[in-house]
Amino acid sequence: MKLLEIKNLHAKIGDKPILRGINLCINAGEVHAIMGPNGSGKSTLCQVLGGREGFEVTEGSVTYDGKNLLELSTEERATAGLLLGFQHPVEIPGVKNIYLLKEALNAQRAARGLDEIDTFAFMKQVRELTKTMGMDDAFLHRGVNAGFSGGEKKRNEILQMLLLQPKLALLDETDSGLDIDALKVVSEGINMLRGADRGIVLVTHYQRLLSYVEPDFVHILYKGKIIKSGDKSLALQLEAEGYQDILEAAS
Amino acid sequence: MSRAPLPEWLVSTLDQQEPAAPGEIHTTARVQVVEWGLPTLRDEEWRWTNLRALTRPLPKPQQTATPEGSGLNAILPQAIFIRFAGGKLVECPGELPDGLRLTPLREADLDQRAAAFAPKAVTPNDALLALNTATAAEGLIIDIAANADIKPPIVLEFLDAPSETAAQTRVLVRCGPHSRATLIETATGADGVTSWRNSVLVAALAANSQLTHLSLGLDGDARLLTDRSFVTLARDARYRSINIQLGGQLVRREIDVNITDTGAHCDLFGLMMPRAKQVLDTHTRLTHGAAHTTSDERYQVIADESGRGIFKGRILVAQDAQKIEAYQSSRNLLLSDSAEIDTKPELEIYADDVKCSHGATIGRLDDEALYYLQSRGISTANARKLLIAGFAQEIVDLLVTPELVEWMGGIISRRLERQNAQ
Repeated sequence: MKLLEIKNLHAKIGDKPILRGINLCINAGEVHAIMGPNGSGKSTLCQVLGGREGFEVTEGSVTYDGKNLLELSTEERATAGLLLGFQHPVEIPGVKNIYLLKEALNAQRAARGLDEIDTFAFMKQVRELTKTMGMDDAFLHRGVNAGFSGGEKKRNEILQMLLLQPKLALLDETDSGLDIDALKVVSEGINMLRGADRGIVLVTHYQRLLSYVEPDFVHILYKGKIIKSGDKSLALQLEAEGYQDILEAAS
Repeated sequence: MSRAPLPEWLVSTLDQQEPAAPGEIHTTARVQVVEWGLPTLRDEEWRWTNLRALTRPLPKPQQTATPEGSGLNAILPQAIFIRFAGGKLVECPGELPDGLRLTPLREADLDQRAAAFAPKAVTPNDALLALNTATAAEGLIIDIAANADIKPPIVLEFLDAPSETAAQTRVLVRCGPHSRATLIETATGADGVTSWRNSVLVAALAANSQLTHLSLGLDGDARLLTDRSFVTLARDARYRSINIQLGGQLVRREIDVNITDTGAHCDLFGLMMPRAKQVLDTHTRLTHGAAHTTSDERYQVIADESGRGIFKGRILVAQDAQKIEAYQSSRNLLLSDSAEIDTKPELEIYADDVKCSHGATIGRLDDEALYYLQSRGISTANARKLLIAGFAQEIVDLLVTPELVEWMGGIISRRLERQNAQ
């Protein structure tokens, strides 16, 4: 089943074209990795799919779960099951993590016609997840990402994913800034999300993450286009040879 | 330039009741009131706040219902509740913990009254202080004995119902050496019913005493409140003021703190959330008059709709007051194009070995944060509410107990929901 289908997607910021014709199809059950050098358009692709303002789609289409994704607001995309993991999770002092989690979960439930979650059941579920992600419960009562280390922020992103159970998780450089311990925990979390009815997109600069979360497909993004696709061996090749050779061979 | 005379309707209220201020203090204030009239925008301390609403008699209320109280009795069942309705002391408990004495102003002796009316009006900026001194007949003297640790909070509930005259109340709090207490003032009014209270609170903290003073302005969209606090801190005393104003047509608070001796510390925390056409104003004046004293001041305004928030914070460090640490921040959220926030830090430092910092910011809701919350499926309206409540929470979290923090957080959150629903 097709979860996401991107056809000839062009997007720009101001007058500057960033995406120049992306084609990509993701089926349920698949894990895709999108790799590419800095400035290739990886983050822009994530933001356009997330519905962030400031990006203008000039051409192409994106179909998510049978719907025209580009017509949906950011929150509608999320409640439809497309969740974006941020490269730089935003710090929101004052808003406690626990409030964010509850509000977000209830938004998902409301979209599915369910009642608000019972507080006791919610707390139980959240405590299990903090344990899984190796986080202290005290973090639930701290401001969202406020004063968190890079690793804590990324764990928090995955914790939210595990709670909200997206159909399609789009993880923007979730591995950057992580030490090896945090990388293992984060990878385990992502592996827990894998499932026959779920798609995962890992956007990353490094092959390292892909040793822990094995992708079914690897795509290389360069100058706003996917210039090469392959299986996980492509990532290993990239690691061994560097971008330069592959880019030259492809152009 | 000649000053506008005291409005007729106020002149007629001047000698209605036997004043509580001792003879000469009263006489001086009585002369000042007539000479000065009401403060106007030409008076430096009033340039942002217009008292036009007081130039005419207050509208006669359709009903005379006393507004509901703060609801704090459900949260703090152990607290000591004192109630003023329309400026009259209507409830004052007789049974009190050891070390606490309450004396209605009407029964106070000369020494107590002299202390209660000690702060002097100096310029027309102080016209409302003079008016209170000239007319106040109702009030309370709170005496906390040396070494007393008064655990239950002392709650002064002001039910601001209209009265024939303006409600002029005077409260004196005297904290004995090494004592500790919490004082909570709450103000509520009935919606649509105009009332005016012009109140003064005087607090004297003796050596090494501690007073936490909460001032919580709650319901009542037509309340007018003009209020002054005068606080003096002796050696090693600690004073914390938390001033949260959520309602009222016009609320003007002035908090004067004078740190007179070494080792003392003062916290001034405030949150004002004007909306509709409310004007919520706080002026603080903090004097570091002795060496080795510290202060921490944090004020936040969240202005929505056509609300106006005003904060002016003056810090004066006297010439011989070395080794001072004074921190002030004013952070503000402007939520609508027709809302307005005026903020002015004023530092006057005459000593040379001091650490003082201040900062003022006015911003809108953070787009990044909004997008982050939306990307989790939270609706725009709920995301805004979370962010606004989160900003307010930074001050609410400073309230003394978890019960109070939760209670106030709930009040703010319900209010934001009501606004969302409109």
